[in-house]
Amino acid sequence: MTRLLTLAGIMLLGAMGGNAFAASYPDRAIKMIVPWAAGGDTDVIYRALAPLLQKHLGQAVVVANVKGASGTVGEREAASAKPDGYTIFAPHDYIHSVYYAGLTDIKYDKAFDPVCLVSATPSVITAGAKTPWKSFKELVEFAKANPGKVKAGASLGSTSQYSLALAAKAAGIKFTYVPYDGTAPRMNALLGGHIDIADSNLTQKGKVDAGLLRFLAIMTEKRNPEMPDVPTLKELGYDVEYAVNRGLMVPKGTPADVKTKLGDACQKATQEPEFAKAMKLQGTEVRYMNAEQYTAFLAKDDKITKDLTKDLGMLKRE
Amino acid sequence: MSHYELLLTHIGTILHLQYLIPLVAGTAIGVIGGALPGVTITMTVIMVLPFTFGLDPLQGLAAMTGVYVGGSAGGSITASLLGIPGTPSAVATTFDGFPMARKGEPGRAVWVGVWSALLGGVLGGICLIELTGPFASIALVFGPWEFFSLFVFALSMVAGLVGKSVTKGLLSGAIGLVVTVVGPDPILGVQRLTMGLNFLEGGLPFLPVLIGVFAFAQLMPDVEQIRPTGQDHASVAPKRMSLQVSMLGTLWEVLSRPFLLVWSTLVGVLIGVLPAIGGSAANIMAYDQAKKFSRRPEKFGTGIPEGIIASESSNNANVAGSLMMIMAFGIPGDAVTAVMMGALTIHGIQPGPLFITQHPGVAYGIYAAYIVALPLMVLVIWLGARFWLRIIMMPKAILIPIVLVLCVIGAYALSNTMNDVYVLALFCVIGYAMVKGRIPLAPLILGVVLGDQIESNLIRALATDPDPWLFFTRPISGGLIAASVISVIFAMWQHSREAKRAAAGPEEEEDTDF
Repeated sequence: MTRLLTLAGIMLLGAMGGNAFAASYPDRAIKMIVPWAAGGDTDVIYRALAPLLQKHLGQAVVVANVKGASGTVGEREAASAKPDGYTIFAPHDYIHSVYYAGLTDIKYDKAFDPVCLVSATPSVITAGAKTPWKSFKELVEFAKANPGKVKAGASLGSTSQYSLALAAKAAGIKFTYVPYDGTAPRMNALLGGHIDIADSNLTQKGKVDAGLLRFLAIMTEKRNPEMPDVPTLKELGYDVEYAVNRGLMVPKGTPADVKTKLGDACQKATQEPEFAKAMKLQGTEVRYMNAEQYTAFLAKDDKITKDLTKDLGMLKRE
Repeated sequence: MSHYELLLTHIGTILHLQYLIPLVAGTAIGVIGGALPGVTITMTVIMVLPFTFGLDPLQGLAAMTGVYVGGSAGGSITASLLGIPGTPSAVATTFDGFPMARKGEPGRAVWVGVWSALLGGVLGGICLIELTGPFASIALVFGPWEFFSLFVFALSMVAGLVGKSVTKGLLSGAIGLVVTVVGPDPILGVQRLTMGLNFLEGGLPFLPVLIGVFAFAQLMPDVEQIRPTGQDHASVAPKRMSLQVSMLGTLWEVLSRPFLLVWSTLVGVLIGVLPAIGGSAANIMAYDQAKKFSRRPEKFGTGIPEGIIASESSNNANVAGSLMMIMAFGIPGDAVTAVMMGALTIHGIQPGPLFITQHPGVAYGIYAAYIVALPLMVLVIWLGARFWLRIIMMPKAILIPIVLVLCVIGAYALSNTMNDVYVLALFCVIGYAMVKGRIPLAPLILGVVLGDQIESNLIRALATDPDPWLFFTRPISGGLIAASVISVIFAMWQHSREAKRAAAGPEEEEDTDF
C-alpha cells in the first residue's frame, strides 16, 4: 500500500504542476527508470543503490522497471521525460550498441547528460557442462575447425553479445548467436545444452562449483580472488577486457545545480559500505566516476562499440 | 526419511512467532494484492521486498512465500465476485466463478476456489518436496523447439474455448495474436504496426490489456442496468443472495472430483516448472483439459464447480512448480520467483544447484513456509469472508467507479508510466465492443499470453539450427505437435456433438460465451 500511496502522491504533485525550483530540489519523489525487468541483474544492482541515493537526497527514489525491446522502451521514456531531475535513467553499456545496431534512434549523448558511473560487472565466458571444452583454448581450436558451429546465447545487440564478439574477434573466430534475453534464460539454455556458450558473471559461481557450468575465461585485467582458477583473456594472450558498466543519467537540459546535487548524492551512496557489500554479492565491483570522467569513459566505449558493430555486420547507423 | 524429519523440524521453526508473523502478514498482504485487479503478485512482492531487508533471510522469504501463496488464491475472489481476474492466473476462474456468483451463490464460488487452491497447493507441495529433481530436469530438456510446440499446443486450446460460434472464437484468438505483434519485435526491437504513434512503441503490455478487456467488459453490462432514479440496486443484484455457505459442503465438492484435482495440479506444476509463461497460461490450459475430460462439457461457462476447481488448483500448484526451478537450479520460473531470488542474493545467499545442500536451513524453511502458508491463506480468507462477500452487495453505482479507479491506478503502477493507462483505455473499448458482439474474451487472452513466446522460440530454434524438421523429429516437440492436432480434432468433435444436442433440445439457452 505504501507504494501505491507514494504513487498517488507523485501523481498528485505532478498534477499540481510542481515546476520545482532547483534551489529546493529535490522536494518530491524521484523516479529511477530501470529499462529491464524486476529481478534481473540490472534491477538488483539499482535496487541496492536506490535507498542509499534516497538517504543522501532526502527524498524517495522509486524504481520503475520500464522493460521491453532490449531496453529501448525505457530509454525512450527517460529521454522524453521532463529534464527537471525528477526522472533519472539507470542504464548500462547497451545504450551504445542499440543505437548502432538500429534498435533505437536515440543517441545517448544527444538525449542524456551522464551523472555518475556506479558499478562494473566483469564478463565471464561460460560454457555448458555438455560441451567438450575445458578451457578457452579448446573452444578456440574447435571454433577454428568448425566455423559457425559454436552456438552462443546472447541478447542481440546488447552487452552479452558484445563481450563474446570482442573475445571472438581477438581470437579470430566466429560464433553463431541465438537470441536469449537475460542472464537467467541464457543459463537455463546452457544447462539444457541448447546453446554452447554465453556471457555470464560471477553470480553463476554456484552452478560452476556444482559442475553444471564451466567458466572458461574472465574478461578482466587480473584474476578475480573469488575464482582464482579462472584465467583472464589477457594472460591467454588476447588483449581484451569487458565489463558491463552501470551508471546514472538525466535527460538533456537538466539544470546544472540539480546535476551537481545528484552527482554528490551518487558519490556518497557509492561510498557506503552497504553498497560495496551488495555489489560483491552480484559479482560486481563498485566503480565510481564523476560526470566528467563518466562522459569521457562513455565516449571511448561508444567508439569501440561502433567498430565492433561493424565487425558483426550489424551496423545500421553511423 | 531424514528428508521429512528436516521438513517437520523446519515447520516447527516456521511456527515460531518470529517467522509466523512475517508469514501471516505476507499471506494477508498477498490475498489483498491478489484480489485487487491491476495489482499483480509480482508488484506485491516488490512492495514487500524492502521491508524484508532488515529481517533475517528466512523471515524475508517467509513473508514473500506468504505473498505468493496468498496472491495466487486472492486473485480468485475478484474473479468470482466481480468477473475481473485479480491476477492473470485467475482468468479461467471468471469463466465459471462469475456465473456462479451471479446465480446467487457467491459464497460457494469463492469457497470452491479457496479449497481448490488449498488442495492444489498441497498436492503441488508434495511434488515440490518429492519430485523437484526429476521435474526440474524435464524443464531443462525443453529447448526452443519444445517451447514452440508447447505454446502451439496451448494455442490449440482456443478451439475448446470458442463458445457457440467458432468464427468469433477464432477471431478473438487472432486479435490476441495481433496484439502481441504490435510494437517492437522481441529479438531486435524493430517497430511493427505502431502507425507512428509514440505510445505504441513499447508494444501492448499484457496486464493493461487483460485488465482493460475484463474490467470494462464485465462491468459495463451492469452499468447499463443502473437506473437514474437510484432504485438501481435491487434490479441489478441477483434476486437470491446466499452469503452463507457450507464450508464442508464446498470442500466435498472439490474432494469428490479427485481426478480433476490431480490432473489440474499436474498441469499447474508442469507449466510452473517451465520458465516461461507460468500461471497466466496454466489456469486456462487446466480449464480446457477439464472441459475435454468432462462428461458435461456444455455446462462449462455456466457456473459449475469443475471450472473453478481446474483453474484454482492449477494456478496454486503453479507456485510450487516455479519454486522447484529455484530449488534445483537457482533459475527463477517467473517474475515473482525472480524477485524472491533477488532477495536471496541481497541476503548473501546465491541460489543454485548446491542451494539445498549449502543452505538446508533456508531451503527447508521455504518448503515449510510454503506448506504453512496454505492453511494460513484459508484462514485469512475465512476471516475476511464477510467483508469480501459484502462487496457484491454494494450498490453498483458506488462499486463500479471504485473498481475502475483501482484498475487505472494498478495499470499506472505496473511501470509508473501513462502509456499503460492509454493501453488500458484502448482495451476497455475493445473488450466492451467484443462483449456487445458476443465475441468470447478467453481466446484473446490466450493469444496475448502466447504470441510473443511462440515468435521468440521459433526464431531461437531456427537461429540455433535452420532445419525446420527438428520441430517434428525431436520427440517431446513432435509429441506436443501431435497433441495439438488431437486437441483441435477433439474440440471440433465435442463442439459438433454439443451443437447436435442443442438442436435436438427444446430451447436454446442464453449465450454464455466467455
